Amino acid sequence: MTATDTKLTEVTTNSMATHRPILHRAVRLSGLFVLITALTSCATGRIDPTDPIGENAKQIDGLMRLSGYLAAAVGVFVAIAVAVVIVKFRARPDDDPNDLPEQIHGNKKAELTWTIIPVILLVFLTVITIPAVFDLSGKGDGRTIKVEGQQWWWQFSYDIDEDGTPDIVTANDLVIPVGEEINLEILSNDVIHSFWIPQLNGKKDAVPGRVHHWRISSPVPGIFYGECTEFCGLSHANMQMRAVALEQDDYDAWVEEQMKASSVPTAASAKRGYDLFGQHCVSCHVVNGVYEAAANGNANLTSGYAPNLTHLMTRTSFAGSVFELYNDDGSVNIADLREWVRNAPDRKPARSDNRQGMVSFAEVLNETDLDDIVTYLSTLGGPPPLMPS
Amino acid sequence: MAMTEESPEILELESGETTPTTGVFARPTNASGWRAWFFTVDHKKIGIMYGVVAMFWFFWGGIEALLIRLQLFTPDGSVLTADQYNQIFTMHGTTMVFLVIMPLAAAFANYMVPLQIGARDVAFPRLNALGLWLFIFGGIFLNLSWFLGGGPDGGWFAYAPNTGVTYSPGNGMDFYALGLQIVGIASLVGSMNLIVTIVNMRAPGMTMLRMPVFTWMILVVQFLLLFALPVITVALVLLSFDRTFDANFFNVAMGADPLLWQHLFWIFGHPEVYILILPSFGIVSETLPVFSRKPLFGYAVIVISGAAIGFMGWGVWAHHMFVSGLGPVGVAAFSATTMFIAVPTGVKILNWIATMWGGNIRFTVPMMFSVSLVSMFTIGGLSGVMHAVAPADTQQTDTYFIVAHFHYVLFGGALMGLFAGMYYWWPKAFGYKLKESLGKWHFWLVLVGFNMTFGPMHILGLQGMARRHSRYGPEDGFDFWNAVVTIGAFVILVGMIVFAVNIVRTWLGYKAGTIPQAPADPWDGRTLEWAIPSPPPEHNFDYVPVVTDLDDFWYKKYQPDETGKLRKIADGNDIAQKGDQHPHLPSASYWPIVLAAGFPLIALGLIYNLWLSGIGLLLMLGSIFGWSLEPATDPDAGHDGHRDGHDPDLNDTDGSDAEIVEEAPVG
Repeated sequence: MTATDTKLTEVTTNSMATHRPILHRAVRLSGLFVLITALTSCATGRIDPTDPIGENAKQIDGLMRLSGYLAAAVGVFVAIAVAVVIVKFRARPDDDPNDLPEQIHGNKKAELTWTIIPVILLVFLTVITIPAVFDLSGKGDGRTIKVEGQQWWWQFSYDIDEDGTPDIVTANDLVIPVGEEINLEILSNDVIHSFWIPQLNGKKDAVPGRVHHWRISSPVPGIFYGECTEFCGLSHANMQMRAVALEQDDYDAWVEEQMKASSVPTAASAKRGYDLFGQHCVSCHVVNGVYEAAANGNANLTSGYAPNLTHLMTRTSFAGSVFELYNDDGSVNIADLREWVRNAPDRKPARSDNRQGMVSFAEVLNETDLDDIVTYLSTLGGPPPLMPS
Repeated sequence: MAMTEESPEILELESGETTPTTGVFARPTNASGWRAWFFTVDHKKIGIMYGVVAMFWFFWGGIEALLIRLQLFTPDGSVLTADQYNQIFTMHGTTMVFLVIMPLAAAFANYMVPLQIGARDVAFPRLNALGLWLFIFGGIFLNLSWFLGGGPDGGWFAYAPNTGVTYSPGNGMDFYALGLQIVGIASLVGSMNLIVTIVNMRAPGMTMLRMPVFTWMILVVQFLLLFALPVITVALVLLSFDRTFDANFFNVAMGADPLLWQHLFWIFGHPEVYILILPSFGIVSETLPVFSRKPLFGYAVIVISGAAIGFMGWGVWAHHMFVSGLGPVGVAAFSATTMFIAVPTGVKILNWIATMWGGNIRFTVPMMFSVSLVSMFTIGGLSGVMHAVAPADTQQTDTYFIVAHFHYVLFGGALMGLFAGMYYWWPKAFGYKLKESLGKWHFWLVLVGFNMTFGPMHILGLQGMARRHSRYGPEDGFDFWNAVVTIGAFVILVGMIVFAVNIVRTWLGYKAGTIPQAPADPWDGRTLEWAIPSPPPEHNFDYVPVVTDLDDFWYKKYQPDETGKLRKIADGNDIAQKGDQHPHLPSASYWPIVLAAGFPLIALGLIYNLWLSGIGLLLMLGSIFGWSLEPATDPDAGHDGHRDGHDPDLNDTDGSDAEIVEEAPVG
């Protein structure tokens, strides 16, 4: 060892010989730097797993940071070892080619050491992981909400009177009361999707034919963004959702409004829109109290369901949460809504010829028709209890 | 000495030749032109063809990667439609796994394993050719989908039921399911061939624990292939039946559980990860000792940990399914097994560092790629341990954090190792070294580009950017790092262009005589492939070496002096074999390529018209007859590719070739 130590001193005093290795090392370390930065950085986007709010998300975040720091420490150790090797043991032009370095074939003690140390670290990680797995797997003790994924939007059903049939069927915005561990029942009506609102909890797949339990909770009111994270076909990128956490009173008020059935509008334009809706839209969409033909699914869509529009305007977004339903000034986002009704596949990839997604009405509805339908849609409840900031 | 011992084997050969025509069909005898490649059964030509075709697909898969990156360069990218994006990311993954890294490893295995164990060819040369042509036709078949209505759009993992006809009505997924079955047969016959070769055809004295680590890792990989490929084949057959014959294996309405596909896919898919990485582990286990001028630190531990990874790799598949709904017991169990597969991998890393420690390291291009494997793979391995913490994985899975992780494993690990192998073995295979200066440009551009591309993906993943999304919004905050990633991808492209320039320029220089002929032993190597000329003669070894040590060739060059220190006693180039003997070799054959051509016809028939399948089936059956009715060796084929009229007296007049050991071409 002393011989090699001397060698190191020689090397470090020779700047010509070291400038390359330092660059090498810098590049090598950049990967680790990235890892560490990533673990500690604050994201700036709407979907933000690094800023956990829900209890489960916080627990996961702790585990993630712990395992991340541990991995980073091991990574730094290996990087230093590699850097030392590169700097210290590189051949010099004046080395005697016939002089071989010491021929070491192995060292049982060393090898045992670096087998046992990782084992200890991993036993430690396993011991803290396994209880967490069981902790996080239980059902929520609060109310149950049914979550159904389908191409390419999320449906949420609430059984308020607990009689086994849903009383509120909504889409895109999952409204929950604060401070309660909501028990989600996650299902799929077609292919596999994955439900993920990272600030509240990790992901859970929605698998057709299976019911998965997952719980979320938020201690504070707010809007939390999420998205489908299991590849689910053409418009997988456009299948988002939001959790809207409300104070208990606001939540109760929301439930009360949602329970009301819709009625036939009286204003002329809205009434015409209502009639057009009855001609073109009701084979897929339900409006409680007036248009319920498609309530139990329909053959026009592979999943059998299109969003229930009864209280459309109480939501913050539409079309799989891809579009805002309201402008920043609080007015209804007529422009996007109108274009969506006109030609949905043009706004969001769909395969309506294969019963996947909403069909285009560009050839069916004229401008007045569109105006009237949007006017009718604007009468369907609202505004939402909480607006995106 | 060996002369007299082995002379009976010549008699055996001679006796075979006294009955020259045992078959109905003649064997091809053209030793030059395209026929020399299309009908060859020479493991070296086959290895080179695997490499060339795999590099073509690497180019193609790289173009797909760049299209993905262009689409994601800015928010709401408009380079591709969602449909095109889904097809391209599906084929990027499928191409890189099945048509690039697996066949590149097959290229090295085919070329180097017989040389490393002192054999003249593989055990079943014709089967070897069949594997190559199935891989080539399978790859072409998969990519025919681009011209016949669009590529597969269900992801390389092809989760049911999204890949059923209901949700993926085009023919793309049919091409995927059938194409991968064809490519799978290629790997399967290759694996059996290499297992038999390694187990039976090692040079005298080469016990299992004197075998080079690369050959060891290839052996482990072949067993993984042998057991893993049937599993994916079952899954693909079920999918094909669902799609083609309206079966209900994955039809939920008829009671299917889509998780069946996931289990089958990942029972194959996780061993597949080790199939992709272990060959590179083998390559750096060769290069690190050579360029450190030290023996591998803990040879036995590295071999055993490689085998241990091979075993443990079967018990971790469900860590791909932590959010699929397995339940806490399954998740906890697979979380624990996944943790502990890190142990043998970590041991390897530390043993490699210990190999370099105290060495006299020559930083040639192959060494630089090898060291980058050690460090880059470590990052991928460590983020892998983070995923093993199952609750953390519920946040990480299906985000770019995973994309970063497995690219550090497959690019930073597997590909870096394969690049190291290319620069290391290039002089052996082609007779000249690639330029070191351009090689260093290639290395630095790829290393920097790689870290620019996949490093920031860790951040994007933790910010919540999901995989397989054809777009992200301006409100998501993913712009900056996505831009960096895309620029990084183009830096890799520049690096690969430099590599291509290097290949072309050195080849032209070699032809023009400005690049010198590489000697037999250009790197002061340790293993048997360096004991024969560069490039090796068709028969590889004039005489079969007798092995007495691990790194036997090294100890022919270096022996301890009176103080016990190793001293150079001979130059490798002087003691290497001359390659001037002309033993009999297996003759070329028409049938492997014809037989392989039947498979894509059958597959096309299953998609379009069953009559086409009938033609393919007839072609296959005819080829099998042709194959079996072919004479064992063509009496006119001559020696070593030279048509010398087969003079049986030649051996006697030549005087020094009595050590020839012939392998009858049974394959």
